[in-house]
Amino acid sequence: MSEATLERGMNAFREQMNAPVASFFSSCVNCGMCAEACLFYTETGDPKYTPIHKLEPLRRVWEQEYTLWGRLKSMLGLSKPVTDELLEEWETLIYDGCTLCGRCSMVCPVGNDISYMIRRAREGFVAAGYAPEGIKGASRRAITIGSPMGVKFPALAAQIKHVEADSGLTIPVDVEGADYMALLSSMEIMNFPEYLEALAKIFKQAGVTWTISSEAFEATNSGIQIGSSDIARELVNRVVVAAEKLKVKYVISPECGHAYTAIRWEGPNLIGRPYDFKVVHILELLDELRSAGRLKTEGTEDDRLTFHDPCQIVRKGGVLEPPRNLLNMVATNFVDMNDSREMNWCCGGGGGVSANERAEELRIKAFKRKKTQLDELNVETLVTACANCRLIIEEGLEEYRMEMPVVGLTEMIAEHLVEDEK
Amino acid sequence: MADDRKKLSMTLGESLRQQGVSRRGFLKYCAATASMMALPPTMVPAIAQALEKAKRPSVIWLSFQECTGCTESLTRSHSPSVENLIFDHISLDYHHTLQVASGDAAEAAREAAMHENEGKYIVVVDGSIPLANPGYSSIAGISNLQMLEETVAGAAAVVAVGSCAAFGGLPHANPNPTGAVSVGEIVKDKPVVNVSGCPPIPTVITGVLAHFLTFGSLPELDALGRPMVFFGQSIHDRCYRRPFYDKGLFAETFDDEGARKGWCLFRLGCKGPMTYNACATAKWNQGTSWPVESGHGCLGCSEPDFWDAGGFYNALSIPDSDLTRKTGYVVGAGVALGAAAGALNRSTRAKAAAKHETVTIDDLDKKS
Ligand code: SF4
Ligand code: SF4
Ligand code: SF4
Ligand code: SF4
Repeated sequence: MSEATLERGMNAFREQMNAPVASFFSSCVNCGMCAEACLFYTETGDPKYTPIHKLEPLRRVWEQEYTLWGRLKSMLGLSKPVTDELLEEWETLIYDGCTLCGRCSMVCPVGNDISYMIRRAREGFVAAGYAPEGIKGASRRAITIGSPMGVKFPALAAQIKHVEADSGLTIPVDVEGADYMALLSSMEIMNFPEYLEALAKIFKQAGVTWTISSEAFEATNSGIQIGSSDIARELVNRVVVAAEKLKVKYVISPECGHAYTAIRWEGPNLIGRPYDFKVVHILELLDELRSAGRLKTEGTEDDRLTFHDPCQIVRKGGVLEPPRNLLNMVATNFVDMNDSREMNWCCGGGGGVSANERAEELRIKAFKRKKTQLDELNVETLVTACANCRLIIEEGLEEYRMEMPVVGLTEMIAEHLVEDEK
Repeated sequence: MADDRKKLSMTLGESLRQQGVSRRGFLKYCAATASMMALPPTMVPAIAQALEKAKRPSVIWLSFQECTGCTESLTRSHSPSVENLIFDHISLDYHHTLQVASGDAAEAAREAAMHENEGKYIVVVDGSIPLANPGYSSIAGISNLQMLEETVAGAAAVVAVGSCAAFGGLPHANPNPTGAVSVGEIVKDKPVVNVSGCPPIPTVITGVLAHFLTFGSLPELDALGRPMVFFGQSIHDRCYRRPFYDKGLFAETFDDEGARKGWCLFRLGCKGPMTYNACATAKWNQGTSWPVESGHGCLGCSEPDFWDAGGFYNALSIPDSDLTRKTGYVVGAGVALGAAAGALNRSTRAKAAAKHETVTIDDLDKKS
């Protein structure tokens, strides 16, 4: 059996050193603006959470091995080596103290994409054996069992049965030639089965032909969170094989944010070829149905409510307006948060932080950012579109004793669908 | 703040040593600077001595009517040591784009830098100045003209970075709605160096600063106020496609046989023969390439009024053969080193990829 070693980690760092990384490091003017953009810094006030500082190990490899000046400094014995101790110390910065939310990348005056580099730095950490237990476990379960939460198809089949019995709808499984193949996240299967029911209801009304694959229904990708392209590739590939076998035209990413990043943006690069199908986020699809007049709703929510923009879907995925179009269809009193859309603050649990038990205390601290945003607004309900955000926000609200229902947008739409006029 | 003051009063040599730069490393840097500025090797000790004693100079960077491309160019600089060192060791006290401070605090920083370094600071300007109406561009309620005049009053020298500051650039192009003028048209009583280009080559910007630090004076300038060492020869004189030009072999379209064979781009509008700049030798992006090498003719961006010089794809009317202004431009050792480092980096990365062992779930743990 092989093992993680410092040497493998160093090699992985070297592999990650491409033109963008090099130009980002050489462009950084140490202005520190990224710190103010990062919720881990703003909520702790601890300068070690300055985004660019989290990259010190990767930066050292770059400087020492890829720059002339660095080589010179190494020769003169002026530079400090990357050691196991360094990686151990930085592990908590790079895994517990970063959700890959990408907010820092938005403010950098020289355009450095810091979250891109953190994602790459994790490749080195994981190869050297420095990844949090929680995400390691999730990755193991994802590869061996098929889902990070250990959900196997029979569990999904049981949920499907329940939903079918409760609602009288059918949920198609393994239907070849359907237009859409829906993916789910374990979180949705186990904690929010309403999502499944909502899909069935909406698709029935809109006349969308769809299916779930019994071989690849799980969309979450721990490989991306732990930062291993090798693991991520295997997980993406399962979905690709299943979708191509069922010959679907589209694969629907579930609400879950990082699942969307994995399947839509990183996937083709990981497997090294374009897909035979297109990937759409469920909100994009719903908005399309809406503008085509295929989504008919009735009644409205009159609560004062707001929307939490999930980083991966909105800031990094570009799905900015669909959630608002959909919300305005069924809500009369929707207000945007300060810093909404692409500048929204992360819930604190993305990028694998929620799967990392050790990070809980820090995560709760970071949640104060969301709390402040909500306090400013004085709303009664929070809507979001990522199962992970939803869970993290529920936990955070509980911790800070704030009473507020957290609702998934897809379900909200489903609740207002016009009942079949038979 | 007090800390900053102390830093400011340190000499460059002290500051470098505090950062762990050894005497040997420092001399290497001086040698690179000398070669970049085409100075004889005997000058190295003199440079070292001068830099060693130099105080961290204060630099105030003003941005007027511009696109920020010049700042981008500078912050993307890669040259082995010069830029890094210079920028770690000057005190960039005011820069709209890069500074954290805003509003009154920013203006206060500028004023503080001006008073504390009266007569000694360098003003870098990018962008042109509108004279038609101050409202076209103002900062903190101060018009560009006023800010330039008051900041330059106590300066030792002014560096006009980019074609906008040097010659008016795009804002000055016909019909020049804002009445844009260059820095040199306003500042008459202080030395002004034009570092033109759209954007200028980063090494050239810092080279000028290094020269100032070393000799306390500005480098020798050409008739347009540009440093001779960098602008002494035309693109055409240094172009690697020149042999084809001399043989009369020209590409006629961007995808014909000639273009594929790397023939001269003159007939496709290359302005190389009338353009003075260091692109062909210093190159761009860490010595990767330059416009003509990537298959496009030179636009002539470092020349006055290049926007109004006819279409970018119109060939100059006569092949100009009498433009060989021979000056002592020496290809910097830094450039050669840069290219070598690039090749080395590619191989480091390729080797790492070859050594990649797939990460599986069985090797997430360290066994010890
Ligand atoms: S990606 Fe988000 S969490 Fe990570 S460093 Fe940037 S702002 Fe902070
Ligand atoms: S904001 Fe950008 S330039 Fe400033 S410190 Fe962070 S990475 Fe560096
Ligand atoms: S005309 Fe342009 S391409 Fe041809 S030799 Fe001159 S600079 Fe080079
Ligand atoms: S090749 Fe010509 S147009 Fe292009 S950057 Fe150099 S001088 Fe300017």
